[in-house]
Amino acid sequence: MFKQNIVLYLRNIHKHKTTFLINLVGLSSGLACVLLVYLWVSDELAMDKFHEHDEQLYQVRRNVVNGDGTLATFTSNSSLMLPALQQEVPEVEMAVAVYEFGNDAQLETAEKKLSSLGICASEDFFNLFSYPLIKGNAKTILSDVNSVVISMELAQNLFGELSQAVGQTMVIKKNGLGIKDVFTITGIFEIPKNSSENFDFVLPFKTFLKFRNPSYINWYSNSSSMYALLAPNTNISTFNQKMGDFVTKRAKFAYPEPVFFSRYSDNYLRGNYENGKQTGGRITYVILFSIVAVFVLSIACINFMNLSTARATRRLKEVGVKKAIGAKRKSLVVQFLFESVLLSFFSLACAVLLVMLLLPWFNTVASKELAFAIEGKMLFTLFFVALLTGLVAGSYPALYLTKFSAVNVLKGKINNSLGELLARKGLVIFQFSISILLIVAVGVIYMQLDYLQSKNLGYDKDNIIIFEITDGLNDKIDVFLEQAKQLSGVTNATYMQGGMTNFSNSSRGHSWPGQTEESKNITFRHAHVGPEFIETMGIELKEGRTYINEKPNNESKIILNETAVDVMGLENPIGTVINMRGPNREVIGVVKDFNIQSLYNEISPMALLCRTEWISNLVVKIKAGEEKNTIASLEKLYNEFNPGLAFDFSFLDHQYQKLYQSEQRVSTLSKYFAAMAIIISCLGLFGLAAFSAERRRKEIGIRKVLGQTTSQVTFMLSSEFIKLVLIAIMFTLPVAYLLASNWLSQFAYKISLHAGYFLITGVLAIAVALLTVGSQAINAANKNPVHALKDE
Amino acid sequence: MLLELKNIFKWVNSGGQRIFLLKDINLSVEEGEFISIMGPSGSGKSTLLNVIGMLDQFNEGEYFFFDESVHALKEKHRSNLYKEYIGFVFQAYHLLDDLTVYENLEMPLLYKKYKGAERKAMVADMLDRFNIVGKKDLFPAQLSGGQQQLVGVARALIGKPKLILADEPTGNLNSKQGEEIMELFKQLNQEGVTIIQVTHSEKNAEYGSRIINLLDGRKV
Repeated sequence: MFKQNIVLYLRNIHKHKTTFLINLVGLSSGLACVLLVYLWVSDELAMDKFHEHDEQLYQVRRNVVNGDGTLATFTSNSSLMLPALQQEVPEVEMAVAVYEFGNDAQLETAEKKLSSLGICASEDFFNLFSYPLIKGNAKTILSDVNSVVISMELAQNLFGELSQAVGQTMVIKKNGLGIKDVFTITGIFEIPKNSSENFDFVLPFKTFLKFRNPSYINWYSNSSSMYALLAPNTNISTFNQKMGDFVTKRAKFAYPEPVFFSRYSDNYLRGNYENGKQTGGRITYVILFSIVAVFVLSIACINFMNLSTARATRRLKEVGVKKAIGAKRKSLVVQFLFESVLLSFFSLACAVLLVMLLLPWFNTVASKELAFAIEGKMLFTLFFVALLTGLVAGSYPALYLTKFSAVNVLKGKINNSLGELLARKGLVIFQFSISILLIVAVGVIYMQLDYLQSKNLGYDKDNIIIFEITDGLNDKIDVFLEQAKQLSGVTNATYMQGGMTNFSNSSRGHSWPGQTEESKNITFRHAHVGPEFIETMGIELKEGRTYINEKPNNESKIILNETAVDVMGLENPIGTVINMRGPNREVIGVVKDFNIQSLYNEISPMALLCRTEWISNLVVKIKAGEEKNTIASLEKLYNEFNPGLAFDFSFLDHQYQKLYQSEQRVSTLSKYFAAMAIIISCLGLFGLAAFSAERRRKEIGIRKVLGQTTSQVTFMLSSEFIKLVLIAIMFTLPVAYLLASNWLSQFAYKISLHAGYFLITGVLAIAVALLTVGSQAINAANKNPVHALKDE
Repeated sequence: MLLELKNIFKWVNSGGQRIFLLKDINLSVEEGEFISIMGPSGSGKSTLLNVIGMLDQFNEGEYFFFDESVHALKEKHRSNLYKEYIGFVFQAYHLLDDLTVYENLEMPLLYKKYKGAERKAMVADMLDRFNIVGKKDLFPAQLSGGQQQLVGVARALIGKPKLILADEPTGNLNSKQGEEIMELFKQLNQEGVTIIQVTHSEKNAEYGSRIINLLDGRKV
């Protein structure tokens, strides 16, 4: 029976190739979507889970009260916390402190010079975290103050062969911190692919403490991340309650700064904290894409259901005869389910091929290194997904087709019941609703990103390049800037602390004349900038003046932004003397507000200071159209100061775009998903329209004989489906509107949702549906009615 | 006694009115009979045949098949009973277009769960007996109407039923083909198979040992 069912099925496919192809294409693209998303999701979920002690691995977070009373959550803590945790908390089996350098540490061996990303970590780092060690003993590699552990890539880069690296020495320098020493390589580690952290070398935490200005080693200066291995079976909520005042009881803060422990591997997916509460993070996208993938697959399943039931008449005779011969309903249900499962396994084979083809592209879009290996768990998943898809897609047709009695079927007494028609129409509406939802999503995300990227930030991010102040420039910044300004193509040049996309420094507890009790605790963001910074960045000066090159003098001056002046309540800011990051600073200028973060955030009160010892980056404004030559001559100049070091710069607008990387990714991916959903929906509509045209052949013949014109017939046939799309539009647009405004609400600056956007979406959906259905309708309407009526 | 119908009624409700398809039918059939059911269109011939064949339900009355009371049986038992003892021949043959002659003949055996080797032997036997061995790999569309009906009869016979129900088996055939099918029935009947056929043709009805006339669902 099994064999015969297969034979019957194959002959059926052969006879109805279009239907088969529609189903195959739909299901295999749907399955391919699901597979790709599955790969992506399992990769995301596996992030940071490779650590052996994952279950017990926690990071310390600290809540700080903002000026407005809300809580901000930080991961940085005082370096004094490490011994305190180790010695005083019995639940902590092991604790590690990590200080992050940033990526501008200079490495120098006899042959090579490069800048790289490093951290300082206390001794147990490689015991607590399970980064595989290729060389070296986890217990001892960080015990000597002059030891360094490097990554496999760095070892290969510096020494070619790993075996030669251990025992070699190199000079490591880091401005700002003042590290400059010779270090001996004691080990080589590897960063697994599913690690969210990335660093090239690890220095002992002792080294950090050795070079750190001792006046910063206190409970008020937070520089390091703290990680802890908690004893098994520690109840985390009671533990957190107990630990709440761990910092506050050691330091005198105006407001308590409660600390709490959060699972380390949660950081990657649920790293966002709002007002002290974990609010999610990347997990949103994981859930979102899983849902979308399942939607795309379900659209394909709906095609299968619709086409199978619509074409039921063709299979009904078989059902009738088999029933008359003695088949039970159960065996027929099994037969139809078997067919759909078979189809879904065909599709799976195609989907696997598709995934193999698309994976490199998908990896680029999602910036991942996903690998697709059909083995063990994957094989099981594939099998399970295909089986489930087959059963879901086949369930309705199988139950529907087999419910009729043999007599009725053989006499041809089958009427499409109202319920069945409604079900089929309902499914089409559902398909189009999803497609429309995805179109709206793509549109809104695209427009919002476009808006963010073109929004006036209050400064001009174009044609500005930024690069680090490397060793050779350290004492000669002014000379370099002077010479750089001489280059043709350079409009202006200056320096600053950090980057324009985030002023990471913030502080509070400042005072000024007329300060009120409430405004005492306002948090200010601040950065140190060079002379002519405001001109170089194209920031608008509201009143006063900018910094000029008058070094020691600048240190007692300050420039504020409008928001700062507002919240401070300064009537005549220029000339006012305030205490902020140092006593008695004279306000010399007020600038119009400009954005220094992603546009999720409102502009905060901000201060621009000018102290050269804190600066880290040079900023050069280039004339538009002369980028290439100018950069070449800048590189030449740079190399005069830093012989042998690569000129590693970035464009400010690229840095800015990076702020929206995950949104960009979502935008690209959702574009493809939406396209997929629409194509598959249209395939289904195409199939249904073809069927409907065939079923109504006689009706069309009679109508035409009675004088209806071709265009009237075309209209009649098309409107049957357009109505469904219209209903889908009516249902979906309000939902889409709500979802879109919900998504936008997280941005401080956002597009406003016009009715026009939704109208366009609706029109687009109808146009696509019309194109799909229209060809079939025109075709059917143009047939000679005589043929249609003759062979009845 | 092969089967017995007692006071069988069947009706449908249409527009608040009860329309009778079968009215008080009493009929007993002995093994080895060859019965022809006759009557004008709409007189209930096919309905009666379907009721006998257990493809259709009735609303009132009693039906005994080999002393089993069909009206009281559960669907599953009824289907087993009918699978075992009854074969159907249709006016429109109702062969499966996508299966070859061989496969069409094999199909009922699949539902009776015969083993592969057994099936092969039985199909071969049937092909041989009906002299259609040469056509075993053809599809129904490649056969003439007479040949298709021959396959239809062979398919009905292959499960070795006690009773063959034929609904105008010659209705779609020309007179020569029709005659051949009727001769075949006569021969089968002589071999002991009970046959009940619905027919319009006086001539075909003559092949039977007994004629039942229906008018408006009632035996006359």
